[in-house]
This record gives sequence, structure tokens and C-alpha cells, in this order.
Amino acid sequence: MSSRRGRITDEEMNELISKLQLLLPESRRRNVGRASAGKLLKETCSYIKSLHREVDDLSDRLSQLMATMDDNSPQADIIRSLLRS
Amino acid sequence: MHVTKEFKKKTFLKQLLLGLHVSNSISNPISIQQRKNSIKLSADLAMAFARGRTHWTHALITKLGQKEENKSTLKGILGRRYEILMARYSCPLLYQKVQRRKKSVTSYRFSYNAQKRRSSALKGSCVRVSPSVVARNLENRRTKVLKRLVPGGEFLNGSSLLSEALDYVISLKAQVDMMKSLWRATQVSSSSNVELVPSAPLQKKDASCTIANSEE
Repeated sequence: MSSRRGRITDEEMNELISKLQLLLPESRRRNVGRASAGKLLKETCSYIKSLHREVDDLSDRLSQLMATMDDNSPQADIIRSLLRS
Repeated sequence: MHVTKEFKKKTFLKQLLLGLHVSNSISNPISIQQRKNSIKLSADLAMAFARGRTHWTHALITKLGQKEENKSTLKGILGRRYEILMARYSCPLLYQKVQRRKKSVTSYRFSYNAQKRRSSALKGSCVRVSPSVVARNLENRRTKVLKRLVPGGEFLNGSSLLSEALDYVISLKAQVDMMKSLWRATQVSSSSNVELVPSAPLQKKDASCTIANSEE
């Protein structure tokens, strides 16, 4: 599948890895040197899982909010005005 | 990347709000679980639309469209575009590929375990596997997990998988941030509900400013 893009250069690979490292929350600690591939993969996986959990939690909260919201509350007005703009 | 983000926030918010509106009005006796799933669906769809056309957005929309329970919400959100979009994002070939891959993965694992058993039987005590092999196997396992997490990741390898994962993580983070701001905006308005009525228009302005600011 990667043959579709031709050989990726080492430079591009390094850039990719460092970008990924910057994103991950734990990369802001002492060892800034290139973490091993395994560690990077593990942190990426756990970060994606935690983001999924956050989305889940937020959907929960929003659904409870929608359930208790009545048509005349200011929240409904805000949402309506945002939808119109 | 910055330009993409700008575009993403407004589109995302609009799609999400539309989805919330639809979720609220589908059917009146709706369980909290159903509404939550509907909201999650809206958020994912909004994220995919806001990002544009990439491998993972295509795979995500395909996956979302295939589930039976999502159909009514999707129809509500997409309206007339539903048929067109579902035609574009339904790929039976994709599904077949997944089945084929699954077979090869399990056969690999089976042969590896068989190898381990054989070598441990020969050596009696603990298995001596060289550290590089261990590292490689660990990496393979983790790559498999990543492939499962990133939509459409099953068909990618190496650098493409990493770059898709990078893109996906960025979009996920933006999705979480946007949903948080939306949530906080409603909290702000509800906490200041007790104030006098004349200040009500001001409250609305504040909340919409908060959202507008987070879009910058």
C-alpha cells in the first residue's frame, strides 16, 4: 500500500514521528530524544482511546442537556441563533 | 494545517448543531442511550465533513452509513443528500478486503504461537527469544491495535498509517475541543439564568462570543 506514494524519505518519516510526538500529551517530559517506535505506537493508541472516551462522555452530557432543555430556555435560543447564522 | 483548522471549526459546529437538532426531534419517547448515540453519530459525521476528503473520513462515513440504527438520524441530517452520499460511501469491496485481512492476521498469530510452543518444548524451561524479535512482535501487535482504532487503518501500512493516524488525532482533538466549548457555552447561560430578565440578550451575546472566539 505504501508503494502508492513511492519510497518515503527518512526525513519525512522523522518529521511525521516528531509531529506525532508533539501531539501526544506525555511527550512533554524529560526524554525528548526519539522515543522507540513501540512506545510511540502505544502512546498514540492510548491517546486515541482516551479521546474516544471523551467524545463519548461529552455526547452523554449533551444528550442529558437536550433531554432537560425546554423550548423556551436561553440555551435553545442560543442554539437556534447559531443554526441560523 | 492551520487553514484546515479554520475551515473545520465553523463547518463542524454547523453540522453538529444540525445533528443535535435532528436527534432531539426524531421520535419523542426516545431513550437517553439512543439520543446519545445519535449525538455521537452527529459529532463523528461533523468531524468527517469538516476535515474533507481523506482516507479515514471516507472509511468513517462508510462505517457510519452501514449501521442500521443510524439510518434515521442520517436521513434527518442529510436530507436529500442521503441517497447520493450513501451511494458514494458504500463500498462492498471494502468489506471483503477486511474479511481477507482478518484471516491472514489470525493465521500469522497461530503460526507464531505454534513456533513458540515448539521451541519451548525443545528447550524445556523459558523460551529464549532474541530482543529484536520481541521488539518486532510488540511493534506488530501495537500496529494492529492502531489499525483497528483509526478508521480505514486496516488497509494502510507503515508511514501511510502513521500519517493518517496523525491527521485523525488532530481532528479528534478538535472535535473534543469544539464539543467542550459548546457544552461550556450552555453552562454559562444556565448559571446566569438567575439574573434579571433585561440582561438576557447580553447573556446570549456572551455565549455566542465564547463560541466565536474559540473558532479563531
